Amino acid sequence: MAKYHPSVDLLTEYAAGILPLAQAACLSAHLNYCAQCRQQTAQLQDLGAELFSSLPPQPVAESLLDNVLARLDEAPPLRYQRVPESGVGRLPALLQRLMRGDFRELSWKKITRSLRISYLRTGDPSFEFALYHIKAGGRIPQHTHRGSEMTLILQGGFSDAHGSYHVGDFLYRDAEDDHAPTALQSEDCICLAVLDAPLRFTSWKYRWMNPFLQLRPG
Amino acid sequence: MEDSREAGTGQAIDASGRRVDEWSECLVLIGSNQDRAAFTRLFRHFAPLIKAFALAGSSLSATHADELVQEVMLKIWQKAGAYDPRKAAASTWVYTIARNCRTDMFRRLQKFDTPLAAEDFTPEQDDEEPLVQLQSRRNRERIKALMSTLPPDQAQILAKVYMEGKSHAEAANDMDLPLGTVKSRVRLALQKLQIQMERQ
Repeated sequence: MAKYHPSVDLLTEYAAGILPLAQAACLSAHLNYCAQCRQQTAQLQDLGAELFSSLPPQPVAESLLDNVLARLDEAPPLRYQRVPESGVGRLPALLQRLMRGDFRELSWKKITRSLRISYLRTGDPSFEFALYHIKAGGRIPQHTHRGSEMTLILQGGFSDAHGSYHVGDFLYRDAEDDHAPTALQSEDCICLAVLDAPLRFTSWKYRWMNPFLQLRPG
Repeated sequence: MEDSREAGTGQAIDASGRRVDEWSECLVLIGSNQDRAAFTRLFRHFAPLIKAFALAGSSLSATHADELVQEVMLKIWQKAGAYDPRKAAASTWVYTIARNCRTDMFRRLQKFDTPLAAEDFTPEQDDEEPLVQLQSRRNRERIKALMSTLPPDQAQILAKVYMEGKSHAEAANDMDLPLGTVKSRVRLALQKLQIQMERQ
């Protein structure tokens, strides 16, 4: 059961369909782990439906109806199968699609001894969407963000000065936060991170790397 | 829960003996029989709302608005088989499709090259428990009843976010308000509508 959740502001923007694509993908992956947020989102969607139902209707030409009726045969009804029960440890389908394989098959770029990053393509031109693999007990050097960072834990967990986080937990940090996440000792941690600006290492040992940490959106 | 039908009237009755509303009934008929008459009735009711929704954001032209209406109505035809009146009011279901199509259209117009469509973002797990379903009907009724109690400034922000598709930051910019004010108005509105989390 996730303990860290998106704020109601983010959930509202998600329910209204206006969260940027990469962030929406991360938030929707959290929903797969969290019944509480699913219910909250459903209510926020009900609110949208209520606003929608009370819009002042705009006249629609009769010819538009004729067009649609003429096209119904091109759009045969879709048949649906039941969504299979999700097993424990199964990744959200949306992520599986973006990964096109499992963690082992991705190409991982080595950043430090205990950190590897694999960039996934979402098509969002403003956000980097990447998986972080932190070795058990390994630490990401002290860093801040020039922009925002959304994180969702997919495997294992990590802790920082603010708390400790496990599978399904969702974190949102902005530029002011300065932290050094350390993976739990028991197993490697894999998390999804969505950034709109590159990391900036603040510890002297790694600062030289900052110019090389470029954002890779898309 | 099984739907039973009264002979001759075509009126759907759910297990608790309640009448399913006209639009849910249309969707069920489309889903089960590809009923074009039901589809036409549904079109006449929802197409003008979808058009209003398209134009609310004001960045879509009239041509795009008509395109969106067609797209949404065709999707409704195709997907009606998946509609379950126990889980969602017809208007919630239609709104969700309209919202997804509009989001996709915005992204297309911005030349996003993405493997994802907005409907892929729907969480997979369905909450099947009857309690949750019952709650969802109650939620909708409660929101409807409480909507008129919102002060105009809160109602206006909700309309900006949901209907015009503005982020909190864009709404703040539009209305010349600090971002914090926009966020707190949204939160106050959600409290009034009793859409809130116990946590936090």
